[in-house]
Amino acid sequence: MDFGKTWNEVLDRVKTWARLNSPWVIHFNSGSCNGCDIEILATLTPRYDVERFGIKLQGSPRHADVLICTGPVTLQARDRLLRVYEQMPEPKFVIAVGSCAISGGAFQGCYNVVGHVDEVIPVDVYVPGCPPRPEAIIDGVVKLLGKLQPAKQPPQEEIV
Amino acid sequence: MDVLKTLFILLIFPGGLFVLANGMVYEWADRKLVARLQNRVGPRWFQPLADLLKLLAKEEVVPESVNARLFVWLPIVALAGVLTGALYLPIAGLQPSYSFSGDLIVAVYLFSMLTLCTGIAGANTNNRFSLVGATRTLTQLFSYEAPFLLAMLGPAVAAGSWKISDIMAYSSTHPVILLQPVGFVIALIGLMGKLEMRPFDAPEAETEIVAGALTEYSGRGLALFYLGRYAELIAGLTLMSAFYLGGIHNQLDYIVKTLVLLLALAGVQTLMTRLRIDQIVGLWWRYGTLLVLLQWLVTLLLKGMVL
Repeated sequence: MDFGKTWNEVLDRVKTWARLNSPWVIHFNSGSCNGCDIEILATLTPRYDVERFGIKLQGSPRHADVLICTGPVTLQARDRLLRVYEQMPEPKFVIAVGSCAISGGAFQGCYNVVGHVDEVIPVDVYVPGCPPRPEAIIDGVVKLLGKLQPAKQPPQEEIV
Repeated sequence: MDVLKTLFILLIFPGGLFVLANGMVYEWADRKLVARLQNRVGPRWFQPLADLLKLLAKEEVVPESVNARLFVWLPIVALAGVLTGALYLPIAGLQPSYSFSGDLIVAVYLFSMLTLCTGIAGANTNNRFSLVGATRTLTQLFSYEAPFLLAMLGPAVAAGSWKISDIMAYSSTHPVILLQPVGFVIALIGLMGKLEMRPFDAPEAETEIVAGALTEYSGRGLALFYLGRYAELIAGLTLMSAFYLGGIHNQLDYIVKTLVLLLALAGVQTLMTRLRIDQIVGLWWRYGTLLVLLQWLVTLLLKGMVL
C-alpha cells in the first residue's frame, strides 16, 4: 500500500464530499421570457428551503460552483454568458433550465438568437419544462450532484 | 517543552483550531436559528465545514488588475489578527492564555483587523462592486468602532482596569448588565455591525452590489475570510458575556451565556431588514455614541459617589 496514494484517495473523497454538500449557485438569464427565472426564485423561497441541501444563491460568479442558465442565448447575451462562465473558478458546472435553454424553444430560428445554451458553453444537466417546477429544478441539482459521485456512476461501456 | 506548550496553545487549544471549530459550530447554530425563526428546516450541522472544504479545494482566481501579493496575503493577515486577539479572551471558560495590563485595547484593535483587511481587499481590485463594498465596509467601520469601543470600555472604567481578566472579576461580583444596560445594547449591536449581520449587511448587500468587498475573491482567500468571520463571532460573544453577563467561570457558563447572546443576535437578524449605509452612520453617531457617552458619565458619577 503506497502511503501517498492512500492519502490522495482520502483527499479526493473529502473534496468530493465537500462539493456534494455545498453547491453554491449563480443564476444567469441569457434571454429567457422570465418564466423560468420566477420558478428559480420560487425554488429559493423558504417553502422549498434549499439551504438544507447546502444550496445557496451567490451574486458573484467567483463564489459559485453551479451556473443555472435560463432561456435561449441571444446575440447580445452570448458574450456575457461566456464571460460569466469564464469568471467562475474550477470546478464548475452548468444546468440548463427550461425548454428554451435546451433547444431554443419558442425562440428557435429568431434573427437575434444564437441558439440553445449548449452551443455556447458545455452543459452538465438539462431540466426540461416550460417552465419547470421548482421540484424539477431541485431534482436537476441533485442529478448533477449524483454525477459527481464516483461510486454511483454507471460503468462505462467499452467500445471495441 | 515550553515551546511545545506554547505552540499547542497557539495552534490547537484554546487558540487556533479550537476557535475555528467552535466558530463553525456557532455559525451553524446562527444559521439554523435564523432558519427555524423563518419556519424553515435550515442547514445540516456540517454545513460550514462543507462550505469551507469546498472553497479550499477550489481554484483561486487572481484577477489581472490587482496587486497579487496583497491579494494573497490580506485574508491571512485578517485571520491571524482575529486568532491572535482570541488568545487574550477566556475562550471556553478557561483563563486567557496571555494577559497583560491593557490587553482589552489590543484585543479590540486586533478584531477590527478583519474589517480593515476586507476593506483593503475590496479597494485592491478594479471591480466596481468591490469598490462600493469596500467604501461601505470602511464607512461602517468608522461608524460602529467608536461606540463599540466605548461600550467595551464602560465595564473597564467601572472596574478601574484595562485588563480583561480584572474586568471579568469585577463583572462576576457586580450585575453589569443592570448597571450599564445602554452599553450592553450598544455592544451587542456593535458586534452585529462588526460581523456584518442582517440590519448592518449593507457592505455585502447581495441584491445591490453582488458580494461587496469580497466579490473578486474565490477559493482559498474567500475561505480564510469566512474563517476570520467565524472566529470573530466566537471572540465577540466571549468578550460580551465576559463583560456584561457576569463573567465566564466554567464550560457550562461559557456555552449557556454565548448561546443566549447568539439567540438574541439571530432574533434581531430575523426581525430587521437591511439599513442603508447613511442610516447606519446616523444611527451610530447620532444615538449610539451619545448614549454610550452619557452612560460613561453616569458610571463615573456613581463610581465617584461610592468611593
